[in-house]
Amino acid sequence: MTSDPSSRVVVSGLGVVSPYGLGVKSLWTGLSAGACAIRPVTAIAIEGLRSRVAAEVPAEALDALGVSRRRSRADRLALAAAREALADAGLDERDRRGAACVVGAVGGGMYEVEEWYWEEARSGRPAPGQGSLRSVLPRAHADAIAFRFGLCGPRETLVMACASGAAAVALGADLIRDGVVDTALVGGVDALTRICFMGFNALKLLDPDPCRPFDRERRGMSIGEAAAFLVLEDADRCRARGGRAHAWLAGAGMTTDAHHVTAPHPEGEGMVRAMSQALASAGMAPGEIDYVNAHGTGTPQNDRIEALALARVFGEGGVLVSSSKSLVGHTMAAAGSVEAVVTILALEHGLVPPTANLTDVDPAVPFDCVPVVARPTDLDAALSNSFGFGGQNVSLIFRRATD
Amino acid sequence: MAGSAAPAPSRGRSRVVVTGMGTVNALTSGGRGAVVEALAAERSGIGPLRAFAPEPGGSGLAAEVDDGRLAALIDGAEARRLSRICRLAVAACRLAVEDAAIAPGAELGLVVGSEHGDFRSSEEFAGGYLRRGPAGLSPMIFPNTVMNTMASVAAIAVGARAASVTINQATVVGDLAVARGAALVANGSARAVVAGGVDEICEIVYRHLCRLGALSPMGGRAPEGCRPYAADHNGPVLGEGATFLVLEALDAARARGASIVAEIADMAWGSVPAAPHAGGARTLDRGSPVRRLLSARARPFARCYGAANGDPGVDDWERALLAQDLGKGAATPTSLAPRFGQHGGLGALRVAAAALDAAHGGAPVLVHGIARGGCRTALIVGESSAA
Repeated sequence: MTSDPSSRVVVSGLGVVSPYGLGVKSLWTGLSAGACAIRPVTAIAIEGLRSRVAAEVPAEALDALGVSRRRSRADRLALAAAREALADAGLDERDRRGAACVVGAVGGGMYEVEEWYWEEARSGRPAPGQGSLRSVLPRAHADAIAFRFGLCGPRETLVMACASGAAAVALGADLIRDGVVDTALVGGVDALTRICFMGFNALKLLDPDPCRPFDRERRGMSIGEAAAFLVLEDADRCRARGGRAHAWLAGAGMTTDAHHVTAPHPEGEGMVRAMSQALASAGMAPGEIDYVNAHGTGTPQNDRIEALALARVFGEGGVLVSSSKSLVGHTMAAAGSVEAVVTILALEHGLVPPTANLTDVDPAVPFDCVPVVARPTDLDAALSNSFGFGGQNVSLIFRRATD
Repeated sequence: MAGSAAPAPSRGRSRVVVTGMGTVNALTSGGRGAVVEALAAERSGIGPLRAFAPEPGGSGLAAEVDDGRLAALIDGAEARRLSRICRLAVAACRLAVEDAAIAPGAELGLVVGSEHGDFRSSEEFAGGYLRRGPAGLSPMIFPNTVMNTMASVAAIAVGARAASVTINQATVVGDLAVARGAALVANGSARAVVAGGVDEICEIVYRHLCRLGALSPMGGRAPEGCRPYAADHNGPVLGEGATFLVLEALDAARARGASIVAEIADMAWGSVPAAPHAGGARTLDRGSPVRRLLSARARPFARCYGAANGDPGVDDWERALLAQDLGKGAATPTSLAPRFGQHGGLGALRVAAAALDAAHGGAPVLVHGIARGGCRTALIVGESSAA
């Protein structure tokens, strides 16, 4: 690991529970094979809705999480992913004690609460399961993780829609750069919920089939569920304890459109500022970015505007672009941290994960979007975009760690 | 525009000052003057619940915002578009920005804290489906079910285009939002940040907190009421409202001739290792940033505003933590919960009160918080002359 003067923050641990199953290894196996994990929904009732597909964590993976079934589905995903990230970093109890815990979340324990609420509404009588309300709020995950793993540093739960997980990475890194802590467990989690599935149906933003980001015929997104966590560390501290860096977190940018509650700014103004801010904080020029892991939801509007913003920052065709959401769905609050992990794995393996289901690229997307098949490429630096309702824009830049 | 890049945010540490306040609470609404008025008032905003009929034998008190006062702050067309909690957030953010006389732009950020978010909209959205199936799903209501919608509409209202952050936490979320906002200003991520908290009285939340025994009288026989630190404390009373502060880099505030109230001299937040929902005086801080901040102080504080809200676990825990870190002689903190009820804006009101106290000079004022589950906060607010 050589010193990089543009950053003091390294990523020393990764953990994931994804629609491919438990663990970073299964995520990378699925991504690199270009295997689409979007399938018919089984976890929630979706009668009468336009879309009937989602990227669920497989039942056998849920059984193997090694977390008490008394916890909410989302807590279980979060605890398993956090445990893998901390173990990957090789942090002992003493190392963990001072660590921050910054979690992006939206749905909280809503999966279980919906079961209870639906039953009570259907029967008109008090139903069992009211206790699930104790874990319904998004903050439940950070509380559970901090207690389970003995993290006494700053604890924050960030609710920033689909940018939540990426915001957790950016603000966790701030705590290190500001000298508050030298280690931070950061990431995001969301389990599938009816309210989310129904809401995006109501907005007509779901594709009835597995989503096709950047395709001329794209018709919307596919919802997924996941948890992904990263251990961020002060580079000197990581080196001193003999830790291994997966990548540098070189820069981050966070902006707000202040334009519309659900629609992005039509010119991608906030997106451009987020990417530019990330580049500036990394001390990098656009030409130094080899790959962009796009927000790439598959909705007609997002993909067109994101492409416009990418063209303004990198120039048309100036960078390789792909969307992981075509493979693992849009995992909501987890998406930003899942895609941060994907971006880091791409740097480590020198392989760009493909955009699945992309057969006819939209002419409004003037980029090589790596259709269908993963592409081996030398990568030194990559940017990951996450944009959310409320005009929340977060861009993260990672650089390959060199030993 | 390929190749262009925004100026690199400075990682130097800026001093952070309070230059504006806005509040909509059970007692008052307005800018700095309204906060002063609310804090000076002898009365409490807590009274019998008006929004809906409480369950017999359960809790029946709340500190509610009068709908007429809120309506006077948000025009009719905007009110029809926004949920009630969004109206509270927008109104208080606007009041704070007007008080600070600060311009909108790409260097103005926003941090919104909320304990419960917009459950009213979540219930309304789900209820539409339960009554009418897919045809009952409202695309207008759905965005409100995500907790960052208050920040989204407030950012539009005040033109905040730097980072906007929504934080969810129990009890101390207003303090935490102000601390996070101050950090964004201090590290140069934004030149100014509107930071605070918001919550509303919502029937489903109120009823279920009551059934879970989380509100006074917590199933006991003692009279219902908010009595922090008292021997007969028996739970919090819910309140509602929004309070936001404008936090600004000292240099920027001076350059534009802003009226500076006080300085956020330091802040920290951390975790005390307690099980989620649990907490008590026997669980002490083993080394969070809050403990480091408080333990290192040689001078006493002029005053301490605490997060105690009548919840015996939280009240006793706060006293034990402060005794551990400040010494057993530390005075009992002042709680504002009996005036305004427990809600997401309360922590920001505590910081506002500390800033107004500090403006009179003397030793710095401490704003301390501890929540069930162990999230702990501390802000040290210094006099404005230091700025």
